[in-house]
Amino acid sequence: MSAGAGGLAPRRPRAGRAGAARIAARAWTASLAFLLVTPLLVTAWGAFSRSEWYGRRSEGAAVAGAGTLFHYVWSTWGSALLLSASLVAVVVPIALLIGVPAAIAFERRPFRGSSWLEAATLSILSVPGIALSVALLFAAGGSPRFWLLVAGHLAYTVPLVVRTVRHALALIDPRLEDAGRTLGAPPGRVARRILLPMLRPSVTLAALLVFTVSWGEFNASYLLTTPLVQTFPAALFATYTTNSFPVAAAATVIFLLPVVPALLAIQALGGEALTRGLQA
Amino acid sequence: MGRASAERARAAPGGFLLALPLLLFFASAVLWPVLDLLRSSLGREGGEALRAVLREDRYRLALLHSVLLSAAASAGSLLLAAIPAWVLARDDFPGKRVARALILLPLTFSGVMVGFLTLVMLGRVGAVPTVARFLTGAPIGSGAAYTLVGLFLAYLYFEVPRATVALESAFRRLPRDVDRAARTLGAGRWTRLRRLTIPMLAPAIRSTLAITFSASMGSFGVALILARRFSVAPLEVYTELTGFQNDAAAGVLCLLLAAITLVVDRLLARGRA
Repeated sequence: MSAGAGGLAPRRPRAGRAGAARIAARAWTASLAFLLVTPLLVTAWGAFSRSEWYGRRSEGAAVAGAGTLFHYVWSTWGSALLLSASLVAVVVPIALLIGVPAAIAFERRPFRGSSWLEAATLSILSVPGIALSVALLFAAGGSPRFWLLVAGHLAYTVPLVVRTVRHALALIDPRLEDAGRTLGAPPGRVARRILLPMLRPSVTLAALLVFTVSWGEFNASYLLTTPLVQTFPAALFATYTTNSFPVAAAATVIFLLPVVPALLAIQALGGEALTRGLQA
Repeated sequence: MGRASAERARAAPGGFLLALPLLLFFASAVLWPVLDLLRSSLGREGGEALRAVLREDRYRLALLHSVLLSAAASAGSLLLAAIPAWVLARDDFPGKRVARALILLPLTFSGVMVGFLTLVMLGRVGAVPTVARFLTGAPIGSGAAYTLVGLFLAYLYFEVPRATVALESAFRRLPRDVDRAARTLGAGRWTRLRRLTIPMLAPAIRSTLAITFSASMGSFGVALILARRFSVAPLEVYTELTGFQNDAAAGVLCLLLAAITLVVDRLLARGRA
């Protein structure tokens, strides 16, 4: 078979060296996936097993049944869980309300200074979260902490919304909107009947991204939390430093419960390329 | 087309109104606090704090640790992720979707959780030493989580998914016919990799390095859990602020941290499309 045939037939793995290289590459990928998931499996096992290798005298041994364990976590850190839930409930809609119109403006109706504003917005993602939280604390430390947390979370999620929605807009033919306009539809109806329905997948994707980031945010949040206004990741830090392994593991499992489906949905919507810029 | 663009130009004020919420948010929640921090750190008191921070070994070492650790994690994750990114973009095999889901899962873990997972694996009674004791009798890796190596592995844990995502989309965009043309012209595997693939990927490689470097520089939770005998810059900010009430030093450290990250980001972004 000539080399040129590769352009006609779908490329098949060749035998010999190439095949071995390909298998090695797959094995590398599979082992990387395995290595990344192993700590989670060990953690889940710690939360659900009656294992006692972590020490019989620890609090975990006394509440080792999974039911009591989760009840203990809920009674201790339930308020943090509720705070994180309400934070997410506030941050997701506000991030969309700020980010989606801005993305439409940047892509469809650029104005003087719009590219500057966009670049400045995206560059927030490169600013370390703790630096922004210190700046917020110094400038407005007296404001209610919940709203400072909202501001910090918005700073790291609005850029994701802008980028996701703008990327999707660039793929939508503007002539569709022009057609609506020439047929006499006012701008509001063009947006409502043409643009927004076509943007729905990307807005959903953006909402999921905002949700996962806000749910797990720690860098910009931790300094803004107080013992009374505590996010769930801040509570995780407390369990990691004060509780025994099974309790910490159970709290981690609770943290992961909404994250895993959200991340799977993000992947299903094809959002891998847009998850860059998430802070750890 | 002329009509459409004229119409769009006429609608330009609409664009400004659409972006107004973002402008107001950016000005009040980002620009104003950052300028306030700059102003207080560049004043006379701030100048003293800056000199103190640059003179003190503790801060300099923390900044150096941050930069070296971030650079190492950035390069390491690039090397680890390159092949899986190619496999996810170009290859196909049963279970590929599962592998991708597993590799991308740590993307949204907060730093403290990554620190905890490192303890679970490499703590004093972590899974690795426990298994190692069972197999060999010696608890290999016990307490490794608290060393610089453990911190490096933890950083790799959250950087590898980022590098994989960025490189995978670059591999997808890579034109295939150029590679095919080179092959028909008789170029070997290594020649094609060296002369075509890597130069074409160069912008993506640089942006991947920028993404991972800035994520590591800002990472705070991992070090909060793991750092015992050494420190990184975000941890010093936290200690100054909560332990010593030294607002001036904390502010200056924040600015240095942000400045280093943004400068490296700009340098790597230069020439990026």
